Amino acid sequence: MTEPAAPILIQDLHLAYGAHRVLDGLSLAVPAASITALLGGNGAGKSTTLAALLGFVRAGSGRIAVNGIDPGADPDGARRQIAYLPENVALYEHLTAVENADYLLALSGERHERGAITDALTGAGLQDRAWDQRLGGFSKGMRQKVAIAVALLRQVPVLLLDEPTSGLDPRATADFNALVSAVRDRGTAVLMVTHDLLSAADVADRIAFLEAGRVAHEADASGPDRFDVRALHARFQAGGQVAA
Amino acid sequence: MNRVRLIAGDELRLMVRNRVAVIAFVLLVLLTLVAVASSWAHQRANADLRARHAAAADAAFDAQPDRHPHRVVHYGHFIFRPLGPLAAFDPGVDSFTGNSMFLEGHRQNTANFGDVRQSSLLVRFGQLTPAFVLQVVAPLLLVFLGYGALARESERGTLRLLMLQGASRGQVVRGKLLALGIVAVLAGLPAMIGFALIAGQPGALALPMLTIAAGYFAYLALWVVLILAVSALVRRSRDALLVLVALWAVVTVLLPRIMPDVAGAAVPLRNRLQTDVAIARDLRQMGDSHNPDDPHFAAFRQQVLDRYGVTRIEDLPVNYKGLVGMEGERLTTALFDRYAGDSYAAQDRQNALVRAAGIVSPAIAIRTLSMAAAGTDFAGHRRFLEQAEAYRYDLVQRLNRLQAEGVSYADDTAIDPAADRRKRVEAGNWDAMPDFRFVGPSGSALARAALPGLLVVVGWLAAAALLLAFATRRLGDRR
Repeated sequence: MTEPAAPILIQDLHLAYGAHRVLDGLSLAVPAASITALLGGNGAGKSTTLAALLGFVRAGSGRIAVNGIDPGADPDGARRQIAYLPENVALYEHLTAVENADYLLALSGERHERGAITDALTGAGLQDRAWDQRLGGFSKGMRQKVAIAVALLRQVPVLLLDEPTSGLDPRATADFNALVSAVRDRGTAVLMVTHDLLSAADVADRIAFLEAGRVAHEADASGPDRFDVRALHARFQAGGQVAA
Repeated sequence: MNRVRLIAGDELRLMVRNRVAVIAFVLLVLLTLVAVASSWAHQRANADLRARHAAAADAAFDAQPDRHPHRVVHYGHFIFRPLGPLAAFDPGVDSFTGNSMFLEGHRQNTANFGDVRQSSLLVRFGQLTPAFVLQVVAPLLLVFLGYGALARESERGTLRLLMLQGASRGQVVRGKLLALGIVAVLAGLPAMIGFALIAGQPGALALPMLTIAAGYFAYLALWVVLILAVSALVRRSRDALLVLVALWAVVTVLLPRIMPDVAGAAVPLRNRLQTDVAIARDLRQMGDSHNPDDPHFAAFRQQVLDRYGVTRIEDLPVNYKGLVGMEGERLTTALFDRYAGDSYAAQDRQNALVRAAGIVSPAIAIRTLSMAAAGTDFAGHRRFLEQAEAYRYDLVQRLNRLQAEGVSYADDTAIDPAADRRKRVEAGNWDAMPDFRFVGPSGSALARAALPGLLVVVGWLAAAALLLAFATRRLGDRR
């Protein structure tokens, strides 16, 4: 019996912007119902990895698949498999929180009753008085909660997170991590790009260090190979020079 | 609901929630309604006035007492060009060229040589008519409502958000097209309602109306596509606004003002004074019927005597003075026709240059289309002038013939106290003279005249669509 393919699968991926080589043989697999944190220094290729998964950049060589779909060949098809939470959440300021969620979910082919949307907003931590306010006056954290609610409501096999806890206080970070764990528990493959090592250690099942466009080190959250946060932190502080 | 309609719906929701956009749209609708109402009232009032004046002028001509026919030649006659219903939509050059003429013997109406003819196709900027609103104001509204449609999404990162929900570039662009297209239809609706009212009037021709409707549809569609192409190509909505306002100013205001001047400079036209002086000079050289030594009229006299087999003009069975009048009218008319022909040829070259400028300005193309189909362009004015001149010539020659056949030479040259009475012919002759009836062009002729403008607008639309297709492929790419 063959093991099902991981919803996020990257094999020997090479990608360059002109002469600048960004990904250089990157291989990574994120199985269903798991969270992988992708760490690395600035310029290590984390954002490019997400962009390649989202089909916004095309790889030079190697294999990349989102739930079996090559985002380079079928970006629209790949995106339909993904819920994505960018670092700087972009939403529509002329719409209320509920309208934003309703519009984005409808675009992705899903219709939810208002009750389901407000439940998700509540689950994301947005207070009920903000549900029907336009986003013009929302803080970054409030916008992020709306985006999280949309991501929670989307029934997709892949969730990509780009610096999700950036700018959040510890309490909000803990709440967020709980939400991500809940998403993972319903079978979603979660890839989280972050600089927040503590948060990664708190929520991730696996942690991967990206260095010069390839995974230099991977560690499990449990078992004999489970990672040591202190050791990882020390290595991270050293500029990502991680020994294999 | 499909993605295209969802995206269009959100774009329209944004416009509705933007008070500036709503106010601008309401202003456009009000402006159009005022333009339709005022043009309609103006056209009706003018048409009634012209009909009344034409009837009064005909009645005054017919009511003349017994008179010498040559006095009637100089009594003259006013004629009026009836306005077609489409003149209410696009009066074209009508307000500047006028539609009434005074006709008399020995001279053509110098309206044929007026300075107003200088590149008269397109300099008529600024009249508040439904055509002006659609040509100039509606594109500006579309620019202000649509400049950010795609640039704003790119700038704020929401374009990727749309794509991340599975919307393709094509779906995003088609959604925006649908939204701005709906706005364009709504913006053009009041003018089209006015147009439909016009269509209900007697004399309205279906083919030119369809041509006009198709032309404006293509013109507004062109602006919608062009706005979205620019919005997709630039990175910031501010830049899109700047580019589009500049484009609007150049295409709809600047070029239509400049091109007629360029045409005027390229093909100079004599002004009225120069023409009058040149014609007077030529008339002096043409011959003097009162001079017995004038070679042309001496030869003419001999030719007449030979034809009737007599040796003295007193022995002719017809009044020689009437025959001289006919010959003089033939000569002067030929001279005027030559000047008019030269002038028309120069104007045709000017107008051809201006029409060619439609390639760089769709506003020029839609104006030529609109005026040509409405019959209010220079060709329409020229049609009136040519029919008026043909009528004048026929009328004067009928009167000259009446003098030749109805007044004897002896009476015509007599100077006794009772001679004046004998020289007159019966008043019933005036009523027998035909009235002027302007024959308008057929619907197919008007539509045919508008076709080049329509082709240019459609060509622009096709080019803009290609540009948008190119921009769509690049939409959302990292630049």
